Amino acid sequence: MSAPGATRILIIDDEEIVIDSCVAILSGEPYEITTATDGSKGLAQLREFRPDLVVVDLKMPGLSGLEVLERIREADATIVSVVMTGYATVASAVDAMKRGAYDFLPKPFTPDEFRLIVRRAAEKRALVLETLALRRERDLLREHFAAIVSHEVKSPLAAVQQNLWVLERELASVASADQRARLERVRIRVGDMLKLVDTWRRGVTVDLETIRANCAVVPVSVPIQKAVESLSVHAARKAIDLVTDVPDPAPEVWAHEVTLTEALVNIIGNAVKYTPDGGRVTVGAQLVEGAVRIAVADTGPGIGAEDLPHVFDAFYSSGSGSTGERGSGLGLAVSRRIAEAHGGSLTVESTPGKGSTFVITLPGLAENGPAGPGRDDGPAA
Amino acid sequence: MTERTQLLIIDDDPDYVSGIKAILDGAGYDTDVANNPKDGYAALRAKRYDLLLLDIMMGRGAEGVMMARKIRKDPALKDLPVLIITGIREQVAFLFPGQAVHPGFVPVDELLEKPVEPDLLLERVAAMLKAAASRRPA
Repeated sequence: MSAPGATRILIIDDEEIVIDSCVAILSGEPYEITTATDGSKGLAQLREFRPDLVVVDLKMPGLSGLEVLERIREADATIVSVVMTGYATVASAVDAMKRGAYDFLPKPFTPDEFRLIVRRAAEKRALVLETLALRRERDLLREHFAAIVSHEVKSPLAAVQQNLWVLERELASVASADQRARLERVRIRVGDMLKLVDTWRRGVTVDLETIRANCAVVPVSVPIQKAVESLSVHAARKAIDLVTDVPDPAPEVWAHEVTLTEALVNIIGNAVKYTPDGGRVTVGAQLVEGAVRIAVADTGPGIGAEDLPHVFDAFYSSGSGSTGERGSGLGLAVSRRIAEAHGGSLTVESTPGKGSTFVITLPGLAENGPAGPGRDDGPAA
Repeated sequence: MTERTQLLIIDDDPDYVSGIKAILDGAGYDTDVANNPKDGYAALRAKRYDLLLLDIMMGRGAEGVMMARKIRKDPALKDLPVLIITGIREQVAFLFPGQAVHPGFVPVDELLEKPVEPDLLLERVAAMLKAAASRRPA
Protein backbone atom coordinates (compact mmCIF):
# COMPACT_ATOMS: atom_id res chain seq x y z
CA MET A 1 0.00 0.00 0.00
CA SER A 2 2.25 2.80 1.21
CA ALA A 3 5.99 2.91 1.68
CA PRO A 4 7.35 1.81 5.05
CA GLY A 5 8.29 4.84 7.10
CA ALA A 6 5.53 6.88 5.48
CA THR A 7 3.96 9.50 7.75
CA ARG A 8 0.98 7.91 9.49
CA ILE A 9 -2.08 10.11 9.74
CA LEU A 10 -5.18 9.51 11.83
CA ILE A 11 -8.26 11.52 10.82
CA ILE A 12 -11.09 11.79 13.37
CA ASP A 13 -14.39 13.35 12.26
CA ASP A 14 -18.02 12.37 12.76
CA GLU A 15 -18.94 13.47 9.23
CA GLU A 16 -17.99 10.72 6.82
CA ILE A 17 -18.09 13.09 3.88
CA VAL A 18 -15.34 15.18 5.48
CA ILE A 19 -13.26 12.06 6.13
CA ASP A 20 -13.74 10.85 2.57
CA SER A 21 -12.69 14.13 1.06
CA CYS A 22 -9.65 14.41 3.35
CA VAL A 23 -8.55 10.92 2.30
CA ALA A 24 -9.16 11.78 -1.33
CA ILE A 25 -7.14 15.01 -1.10
CA LEU A 26 -4.14 13.19 0.40
CA SER A 27 -4.24 10.21 -1.97
CA GLY A 28 -1.10 10.07 -4.03
CA GLU A 29 0.94 11.65 -1.23
CA PRO A 30 3.40 9.52 0.81
CA TYR A 31 1.03 9.05 3.73
CA GLU A 32 -0.57 6.09 5.42
CA ILE A 33 -4.05 7.05 6.59
CA THR A 34 -6.55 5.63 9.07
CA THR A 35 -9.86 7.19 10.00
CA ALA A 36 -12.25 7.15 12.96
CA THR A 37 -15.79 8.50 13.21
CA ASP A 38 -15.68 9.54 16.85
CA GLY A 39 -13.26 10.48 19.62
CA SER A 40 -13.12 7.19 21.50
CA LYS A 41 -12.62 5.16 18.32
CA GLY A 42 -9.88 7.60 17.40
CA LEU A 43 -8.15 7.22 20.77
CA ALA A 44 -8.32 3.44 20.40
CA GLN A 45 -6.35 3.85 17.19
CA LEU A 46 -3.50 5.61 19.03
CA ARG A 47 -2.00 2.37 20.21
CA GLU A 48 -3.12 0.26 17.26
CA PHE A 49 -2.06 2.55 14.43
CA ARG A 50 0.59 4.68 16.20
CA PRO A 51 -0.02 7.83 14.16
CA ASP A 52 2.53 10.56 13.53
CA LEU A 53 -0.21 13.12 12.95
CA VAL A 54 -3.79 13.38 14.12
CA VAL A 55 -6.31 15.55 12.33
CA VAL A 56 -9.32 15.97 14.59
CA ASP A 57 -12.66 17.75 14.29
CA LEU A 58 -13.35 19.99 17.28
CA LYS A 59 -17.12 19.53 17.35
CA MET A 60 -18.19 15.92 17.57
CA PRO A 61 -20.85 14.04 19.54
CA GLY A 62 -19.37 12.11 22.49
CA LEU A 63 -15.78 13.06 23.26
CA SER A 64 -15.11 16.58 22.04
CA GLY A 65 -12.11 17.41 19.90
CA LEU A 66 -10.53 19.27 22.80
CA GLU A 67 -10.83 16.23 25.06
CA VAL A 68 -9.34 14.06 22.33
CA LEU A 69 -6.43 16.51 22.04
CA GLU A 70 -5.83 16.33 25.75
CA ARG A 71 -5.80 12.52 25.77
CA ILE A 72 -3.45 12.40 22.79
CA ARG A 73 -1.05 14.66 24.59
CA GLU A 74 -1.19 12.48 27.69
CA ALA A 75 -0.61 9.35 25.64
CA ASP A 76 2.24 10.67 23.51
CA ALA A 77 3.23 14.32 23.55
CA THR A 78 5.30 13.89 20.39
CA ILE A 79 2.22 13.27 18.21
CA VAL A 80 1.47 16.38 16.15
CA SER A 81 -2.21 17.30 15.96
CA VAL A 82 -4.19 19.61 13.74
CA VAL A 83 -7.77 20.63 14.58
CA MET A 84 -10.55 21.28 12.11
CA THR A 85 -13.37 23.54 13.10
CA GLY A 86 -16.53 24.68 11.47
CA TYR A 87 -16.74 27.55 13.91
CA ALA A 88 -13.67 29.38 12.77
CA THR A 89 -13.58 31.54 15.81
CA VAL A 90 -10.22 32.67 17.06
CA ALA A 91 -11.24 31.61 20.55
CA SER A 92 -11.72 27.92 19.78
CA ALA A 93 -8.53 27.81 17.76
CA VAL A 94 -6.54 29.45 20.55
CA ASP A 95 -8.08 27.04 23.02
CA ALA A 96 -7.02 24.10 20.88
CA MET A 97 -3.48 25.43 20.46
CA LYS A 98 -3.26 25.88 24.22
CA ARG A 99 -4.06 22.21 24.60
CA GLY A 100 -1.20 21.25 22.40
CA ALA A 101 -2.62 21.43 18.85
CA TYR A 102 0.05 22.36 16.35
CA ASP A 103 -2.24 24.13 13.89
CA PHE A 104 -5.90 24.59 12.99
CA LEU A 105 -7.95 24.43 9.83
CA PRO A 106 -11.20 26.37 9.46
CA LYS A 107 -13.95 24.54 7.57
CA PRO A 108 -14.56 24.73 4.70
CA PHE A 109 -11.01 24.47 3.43
CA THR A 110 -9.56 24.01 -0.03
CA PRO A 111 -7.60 20.86 -0.94
CA ASP A 112 -4.45 22.95 -1.24
CA GLU A 113 -4.90 24.41 2.23
CA PHE A 114 -5.37 20.93 3.66
CA ARG A 115 -2.35 19.49 1.81
CA LEU A 116 -0.17 22.40 2.93
CA ILE A 117 -1.12 22.14 6.60
CA VAL A 118 -0.64 18.38 6.65
CA ARG A 119 2.76 18.73 4.97
CA ARG A 120 3.86 21.30 7.55
CA ALA A 121 2.59 19.14 10.38
CA ALA A 122 4.52 16.17 8.97
CA GLU A 123 7.67 18.29 8.89
CA LYS A 124 7.05 19.33 12.48
CA ARG A 125 6.70 15.69 13.50
CA ALA A 126 10.00 14.83 11.78
CA LEU A 127 11.69 17.66 13.71
CA VAL A 128 10.24 16.49 17.00
CA LEU A 129 11.50 12.95 16.42
CA GLU A 130 14.91 14.20 15.36
CA THR A 131 15.21 16.32 18.48
CA LEU A 132 14.37 13.32 20.64
CA ALA A 133 16.91 11.15 18.83
CA LEU A 134 19.60 13.82 19.23
CA ARG A 135 18.85 14.17 22.91
CA ARG A 136 19.13 10.41 23.39
CA GLU A 137 22.40 10.40 21.48
CA ARG A 138 23.75 13.21 23.64
CA ASP A 139 22.91 11.28 26.83
CA LEU A 140 24.52 8.16 25.42
CA LEU A 141 27.66 10.08 24.44
CA ARG A 142 27.88 11.46 27.93
CA GLU A 143 27.68 7.97 29.39
CA HIS A 144 30.20 6.66 26.88
CA PHE A 145 32.55 9.49 27.69
CA ALA A 146 32.36 8.48 31.31
CA ALA A 147 33.10 4.88 30.41
CA ILE A 148 36.08 5.94 28.30
CA VAL A 149 37.44 8.20 31.01
CA SER A 150 37.19 5.46 33.55
CA HIS A 151 38.84 2.84 31.43
CA GLU A 152 41.48 4.80 29.55
CA VAL A 153 42.57 7.04 32.41
CA LYS A 154 41.85 4.92 35.39
CA SER A 155 43.40 1.69 34.15
CA PRO A 156 46.97 2.96 33.91
CA LEU A 157 46.64 4.75 37.24
CA ALA A 158 45.32 1.56 38.82
CA ALA A 159 48.24 -0.42 37.41
CA VAL A 160 50.70 2.13 38.82
CA GLN A 161 49.06 2.13 42.21
CA GLN A 162 48.88 -1.65 42.37
CA ASN A 163 52.61 -1.89 41.74
CA LEU A 164 53.42 0.89 44.19
CA TRP A 165 51.69 -1.07 46.91
CA VAL A 166 53.76 -4.10 46.04
CA LEU A 167 56.97 -2.05 45.98
CA GLU A 168 56.18 -0.56 49.36
CA ARG A 169 55.82 -4.05 50.81
CA GLU A 170 58.87 -5.46 49.10
CA LEU A 171 61.09 -2.53 50.02
CA ALA A 172 59.76 -2.04 53.55
CA SER A 173 62.79 -3.67 55.17
CA VAL A 174 65.50 -2.54 52.76
CA ALA A 175 64.67 1.04 51.83
CA SER A 176 65.87 3.99 53.89
CA ALA A 177 63.36 6.12 55.76
CA ASP A 178 63.81 8.79 53.11
CA GLN A 179 63.08 6.39 50.30
CA ARG A 180 60.05 5.00 52.07
CA ALA A 181 58.70 8.50 52.61
CA ARG A 182 59.23 9.32 48.93
CA LEU A 183 57.41 6.16 47.91
CA GLU A 184 54.56 6.99 50.23
CA ARG A 185 54.20 10.48 48.75
CA VAL A 186 54.06 9.00 45.26
CA ARG A 187 51.39 6.56 46.37
CA ILE A 188 49.34 9.32 47.97
CA ARG A 189 49.50 11.49 44.83
CA VAL A 190 48.46 8.60 42.60
CA GLY A 191 45.65 7.85 45.04
CA ASP A 192 44.47 11.46 44.78
CA MET A 193 44.44 11.21 40.99
CA LEU A 194 42.35 8.06 41.17
CA LYS A 195 39.89 9.80 43.46
CA LEU A 196 39.73 12.75 41.06
CA VAL A 197 38.89 10.47 38.13
CA ASP A 198 36.14 8.89 40.20
CA THR A 199 34.71 12.29 41.05
CA TRP A 200 34.71 13.43 37.43
CA ARG A 201 33.07 10.26 36.31
CA ARG A 202 30.48 10.65 39.02
CA GLY A 203 29.74 14.15 37.76
CA VAL A 204 28.60 12.90 34.40
CA THR A 205 26.79 9.80 35.53
CA VAL A 206 24.62 10.74 38.49
CA ASP A 207 21.71 8.59 37.49
CA LEU A 208 18.51 10.44 38.26
CA GLU A 209 16.30 7.43 37.64
CA THR A 210 18.24 5.29 40.10
CA ILE A 211 17.91 7.97 42.73
CA ARG A 212 14.16 8.32 42.22
CA ALA A 213 13.62 4.57 42.19
CA ASN A 214 15.36 4.12 45.54
CA CYS A 215 13.80 6.86 47.66
CA ALA A 216 12.33 6.23 51.08
CA VAL A 217 11.07 8.27 54.03
CA VAL A 218 14.16 9.66 55.76
CA PRO A 219 14.36 12.03 58.74
CA VAL A 220 16.74 14.77 57.53
CA SER A 221 18.72 14.37 60.73
CA VAL A 222 20.08 11.04 59.43
CA PRO A 223 21.96 12.22 56.31
CA ILE A 224 22.97 15.42 58.12
CA GLN A 225 24.45 13.46 61.02
CA LYS A 226 26.28 11.08 58.69
CA ALA A 227 27.73 13.90 56.61
CA VAL A 228 28.82 15.85 59.69
CA GLU A 229 30.45 12.78 61.21
CA SER A 230 32.41 12.03 58.07
CA LEU A 231 33.79 15.58 58.10
CA SER A 232 34.37 16.03 61.82
CA VAL A 233 38.06 15.07 61.65
CA HIS A 234 38.55 17.52 58.80
CA ALA A 235 36.88 20.30 60.79
CA ALA A 236 38.77 19.46 63.96
CA ARG A 237 42.08 19.70 62.12
CA LYS A 238 41.26 23.32 61.24
CA ALA A 239 39.71 24.03 64.66
CA ILE A 240 36.42 24.74 62.93
CA ASP A 241 33.30 24.52 65.03
CA LEU A 242 31.01 22.19 63.02
CA VAL A 243 27.55 22.31 64.61
CA THR A 244 24.03 21.15 63.71
CA ASP A 245 20.75 22.86 64.42
CA VAL A 246 18.01 20.32 63.66
CA PRO A 247 14.67 20.18 65.50
CA ASP A 248 13.67 16.96 67.29
CA PRO A 249 11.79 15.18 65.82
CA ALA A 250 13.46 16.15 62.56
CA PRO A 251 11.37 16.89 59.46
CA GLU A 252 11.12 13.93 57.11
CA VAL A 253 11.85 13.89 53.41
CA TRP A 254 11.33 11.46 50.53
CA ALA A 255 14.95 10.83 49.70
CA HIS A 256 17.71 8.51 48.57
CA GLU A 257 19.77 8.59 51.74
CA VAL A 258 23.14 7.72 50.19
CA THR A 259 23.13 10.40 47.51
CA LEU A 260 21.56 13.02 49.75
CA THR A 261 24.35 12.34 52.25
CA GLU A 262 26.85 12.65 49.42
CA ALA A 263 25.42 16.04 48.44
CA LEU A 264 25.67 17.22 52.05
CA VAL A 265 29.23 15.95 52.36
CA ASN A 266 30.13 17.97 49.26
CA ILE A 267 28.50 21.14 50.55
CA ILE A 268 29.64 20.89 54.17
CA GLY A 269 33.10 19.78 53.00
CA ASN A 270 33.31 22.88 50.82
CA ALA A 271 32.26 25.08 53.73
CA VAL A 272 34.95 23.55 55.94
CA LYS A 273 37.51 23.85 53.17
CA TYR A 274 36.91 27.53 52.48
CA THR A 275 36.43 28.67 56.07
CA PRO A 276 39.57 29.97 57.80
CA ASP A 277 40.90 28.13 60.83
CA GLY A 278 38.89 28.73 63.98
CA GLY A 279 35.70 29.56 62.06
CA ARG A 280 32.26 28.01 62.30
CA VAL A 281 30.05 25.92 60.02
CA THR A 282 26.40 25.46 60.98
CA VAL A 283 24.13 22.85 59.40
CA GLY A 284 20.49 23.65 60.10
CA ALA A 285 17.21 22.09 59.01
CA GLN A 286 13.68 23.41 59.28
CA LEU A 287 10.22 23.06 57.78
CA VAL A 288 9.29 26.19 55.83
CA GLU A 289 5.88 26.35 54.18
CA GLY A 290 5.71 22.59 53.70
CA ALA A 291 9.24 22.35 52.30
CA VAL A 292 12.30 21.09 54.15
CA ARG A 293 15.16 23.55 54.09
CA ILE A 294 18.68 22.35 54.88
CA ALA A 295 21.07 25.27 55.26
CA VAL A 296 24.85 25.08 55.49
CA ALA A 297 26.21 28.41 56.71
CA ASP A 298 29.89 29.21 57.08
CA THR A 299 31.99 32.10 58.36
CA GLY A 300 34.30 31.94 55.35
CA PRO A 301 35.34 34.73 53.00
CA GLY A 302 32.08 34.59 51.05
CA ILE A 303 31.71 34.42 47.30
CA GLY A 304 32.18 37.43 45.06
CA ALA A 305 29.25 38.61 42.95
CA GLU A 306 31.16 37.69 39.79
CA ASP A 307 31.68 34.10 40.98
CA LEU A 308 28.23 33.56 42.45
CA PRO A 309 26.41 32.70 39.19
CA HIS A 310 29.01 30.06 38.33
CA VAL A 311 29.53 28.12 41.53
CA PHE A 312 27.22 25.32 40.37
CA ASP A 313 28.80 25.00 36.93
CA ALA A 314 30.65 21.76 36.31
CA PHE A 315 34.46 22.12 36.45
CA TYR A 316 34.21 25.58 38.02
CA SER A 317 36.51 26.04 40.95
CA SER A 318 37.12 29.50 42.28
CA GLY A 319 40.72 30.28 43.15
CA SER A 320 41.65 28.34 46.23
CA GLY A 321 40.50 27.48 49.70
CA SER A 322 41.89 29.02 52.83
CA THR A 323 44.81 26.62 52.80
CA GLY A 324 45.37 26.65 49.07
CA GLU A 325 43.10 23.63 48.53
CA ARG A 326 41.49 23.28 45.18
CA GLY A 327 38.44 21.25 44.38
CA SER A 328 37.63 19.13 41.37
CA GLY A 329 35.05 21.74 40.42
CA LEU A 330 32.31 19.14 40.39
CA GLY A 331 31.13 18.77 43.98
CA LEU A 332 28.52 21.51 43.83
CA ALA A 333 27.40 20.60 40.30
CA VAL A 334 26.86 17.01 41.42
CA SER A 335 25.10 18.18 44.58
CA ARG A 336 22.73 20.35 42.60
CA ARG A 337 21.83 17.45 40.32
CA ILE A 338 21.20 15.30 43.37
CA ALA A 339 18.93 17.97 44.90
CA GLU A 340 17.04 18.28 41.61
CA ALA A 341 16.66 14.52 41.32
CA HIS A 342 14.84 14.75 44.66
CA GLY A 343 12.46 17.33 43.23
CA GLY A 344 14.30 20.05 45.14
CA SER A 345 16.91 22.70 44.55
CA LEU A 346 20.30 23.90 45.72
CA THR A 347 20.84 27.64 46.04
CA VAL A 348 23.42 29.94 47.57
CA GLU A 349 23.47 33.32 49.24
CA SER A 350 26.69 35.03 50.08
CA THR A 351 28.10 38.30 51.28
CA PRO A 352 31.82 38.74 50.69
CA GLY A 353 33.58 38.97 54.04
CA LYS A 354 30.63 37.54 55.94
CA GLY A 355 30.33 33.97 54.72
CA SER A 356 28.08 31.88 52.51
CA THR A 357 24.92 29.87 53.04
CA PHE A 358 24.10 26.97 50.75
CA VAL A 359 20.50 25.79 50.96
CA ILE A 360 19.04 22.48 49.81
CA THR A 361 15.27 22.76 49.61
CA LEU A 362 13.36 19.49 49.37
CA PRO A 363 9.61 18.98 49.03
CA GLY A 364 7.93 18.16 52.32
CA LEU A 365 6.62 14.63 52.67
CA ALA A 366 2.96 15.36 52.07
CA GLU A 367 3.63 16.61 48.55
CA ASN A 368 6.01 13.97 47.42
CA GLY A 369 5.55 10.99 49.66
CA PRO A 370 4.06 7.68 48.59
CA ALA A 371 0.88 7.94 50.62
CA GLY A 372 0.60 11.53 51.72
CA PRO A 373 -3.06 12.45 52.24
CA GLY A 374 -2.45 16.05 51.25
CA ARG A 375 -0.45 19.01 52.38
CA ASP A 376 0.71 18.62 55.91
CA ASP A 377 0.31 22.16 57.15
CA GLY A 378 -0.88 21.78 60.70
CA PRO A 379 0.45 19.60 63.47
CA ALA A 380 -0.41 15.98 62.69
CA ALA A 381 -2.35 13.94 65.22
CA MET B 1 54.18 -33.01 48.71
CA THR B 2 51.46 -30.59 49.73
CA GLU B 3 49.30 -29.31 46.93
CA ARG B 4 49.57 -25.54 46.47
CA THR B 5 46.48 -23.51 45.79
CA GLN B 6 46.17 -22.75 42.07
CA LEU B 7 44.96 -19.33 40.96
CA LEU B 8 44.38 -17.98 37.47
CA ILE B 9 44.36 -14.30 36.56
CA ILE B 10 42.69 -13.28 33.29
CA ASP B 11 43.46 -9.63 32.58
CA ASP B 12 44.74 -7.89 29.45
CA ASP B 13 46.87 -5.32 31.30
CA PRO B 14 50.28 -6.99 31.98
CA ASP B 15 51.43 -4.15 34.25
CA TYR B 16 48.36 -4.44 36.40
CA VAL B 17 48.69 -8.22 36.49
CA SER B 18 52.29 -8.04 37.65
CA GLY B 19 51.08 -5.96 40.59
CA ILE B 20 48.53 -8.46 41.85
CA LYS B 21 50.52 -11.53 40.87
CA ALA B 22 53.40 -10.36 43.08
CA ILE B 23 51.05 -10.03 46.03
CA LEU B 24 49.51 -13.46 45.47
CA ASP B 25 52.85 -15.18 44.81
CA GLY B 26 54.24 -13.55 47.93
CA ALA B 27 51.41 -15.11 49.94
CA GLY B 28 52.30 -18.58 48.69
CA TYR B 29 49.76 -19.09 45.93
CA ASP B 30 50.59 -20.59 42.55
CA THR B 31 49.43 -17.99 40.09
CA ASP B 32 49.03 -18.42 36.33
CA VAL B 33 48.21 -15.56 34.00
CA ALA B 34 46.24 -15.32 30.77
CA ASN B 35 46.17 -12.00 28.93
CA ASN B 36 42.95 -12.55 27.01
CA PRO B 37 39.68 -14.43 27.50
CA LYS B 38 40.51 -17.05 24.86
CA ASP B 39 43.79 -18.12 26.48
CA GLY B 40 42.08 -17.88 29.83
CA TYR B 41 39.33 -20.26 28.86
CA ALA B 42 41.86 -22.69 27.39
CA ALA B 43 43.83 -22.56 30.64
CA LEU B 44 40.70 -23.26 32.67
CA ARG B 45 39.96 -26.33 30.54
CA ALA B 46 43.54 -27.60 30.75
CA LYS B 47 44.13 -27.39 34.49
CA ARG B 48 42.16 -27.40 37.70
CA TYR B 49 42.10 -24.00 39.42
CA ASP B 50 40.85 -23.12 42.86
CA LEU B 51 39.99 -19.53 42.06
CA LEU B 52 39.77 -17.21 39.07
CA LEU B 53 40.59 -13.50 39.17
CA LEU B 54 38.79 -11.96 36.22
CA ASP B 55 39.00 -8.51 34.64
CA ILE B 56 35.84 -7.16 33.04
CA MET B 57 36.93 -4.67 30.41
CA MET B 58 39.04 -6.65 27.98
CA GLY B 59 39.29 -6.57 24.22
CA ARG B 60 36.54 -4.75 22.41
CA GLY B 61 34.35 -4.21 25.42
CA ALA B 62 33.25 -6.13 28.45
CA GLU B 63 34.54 -9.48 27.29
CA GLY B 64 35.06 -10.50 30.91
CA VAL B 65 31.29 -10.52 31.33
CA MET B 66 30.87 -12.98 28.44
CA MET B 67 33.65 -15.03 29.98
CA ALA B 68 31.89 -15.15 33.35
CA ARG B 69 28.62 -16.20 31.72
CA LYS B 70 30.40 -18.95 29.80
CA ILE B 71 31.97 -20.26 33.00
CA ARG B 72 28.61 -20.33 34.68
CA LYS B 73 27.18 -22.52 31.92
CA ASP B 74 30.10 -24.94 31.89
CA PRO B 75 29.33 -27.93 34.15
CA ALA B 76 33.03 -28.45 34.86
CA LEU B 77 33.60 -24.82 35.87
CA LYS B 78 30.33 -23.57 37.30
CA ASP B 79 31.47 -23.95 40.91
CA LEU B 80 34.75 -22.15 40.37
CA PRO B 81 34.88 -19.06 42.61
CA VAL B 82 35.35 -15.92 40.50
CA LEU B 83 36.80 -12.72 41.92
CA ILE B 84 35.93 -9.96 39.50
CA ILE B 85 38.39 -7.09 39.56
CA THR B 86 37.22 -4.10 37.60
CA GLY B 87 37.98 -0.45 37.19
CA ILE B 88 34.40 0.31 36.32
CA ARG B 89 32.00 -0.71 39.03
CA GLU B 90 29.20 1.68 38.02
CA GLN B 91 29.70 1.33 34.30
CA VAL B 92 29.20 -2.42 34.45
CA ALA B 93 25.62 -1.73 35.41
CA PHE B 94 25.33 0.81 32.59
CA LEU B 95 26.70 -1.55 29.96
CA PHE B 96 24.27 -4.28 30.92
CA PRO B 97 21.07 -2.49 31.83
CA GLY B 98 18.48 -4.63 33.52
CA GLN B 99 20.82 -7.56 34.00
CA ALA B 100 21.99 -8.81 37.34
CA VAL B 101 25.68 -8.02 37.55
CA HIS B 102 26.44 -8.57 41.15
CA PRO B 103 25.76 -10.60 43.18
CA GLY B 104 24.89 -13.66 41.16
CA PHE B 105 26.99 -12.72 38.17
CA VAL B 106 28.26 -16.19 38.61
CA PRO B 107 26.94 -17.94 41.69
CA VAL B 108 30.10 -17.67 43.76
CA ASP B 109 31.50 -14.36 42.67
CA GLU B 110 32.90 -11.33 44.44
CA LEU B 111 33.71 -7.93 43.04
CA LEU B 112 36.58 -5.59 43.87
CA GLU B 113 37.49 -2.30 42.28
CA LYS B 114 40.96 -1.64 40.84
CA PRO B 115 43.40 -0.93 42.37
CA VAL B 116 43.01 -3.41 45.24
CA GLU B 117 44.91 -2.93 48.45
CA PRO B 118 47.16 -5.94 49.07
CA ASP B 119 45.64 -6.85 52.43
CA LEU B 120 42.11 -6.60 51.08
CA LEU B 121 43.01 -8.75 48.07
CA LEU B 122 44.58 -11.47 50.22
CA GLU B 123 41.75 -11.41 52.72
CA ARG B 124 39.12 -11.71 49.99
CA VAL B 125 40.95 -14.50 48.17
CA ALA B 126 41.38 -16.46 51.41
CA ALA B 127 37.72 -16.01 52.33
CA MET B 128 36.53 -17.16 48.91
CA LEU B 129 38.79 -20.22 48.98
CA LYS B 130 37.52 -21.11 52.44
CA ALA B 131 33.90 -20.72 51.37
CA ALA B 132 34.53 -22.88 48.30
CA ALA B 133 36.19 -25.57 50.42
CA SER B 134 33.21 -25.71 52.78
CA ARG B 135 30.87 -26.13 49.78
CA ARG B 136 32.81 -29.09 48.44
CA PRO B 137 31.58 -32.50 49.53
CA ALA B 138 34.14 -34.17 51.77
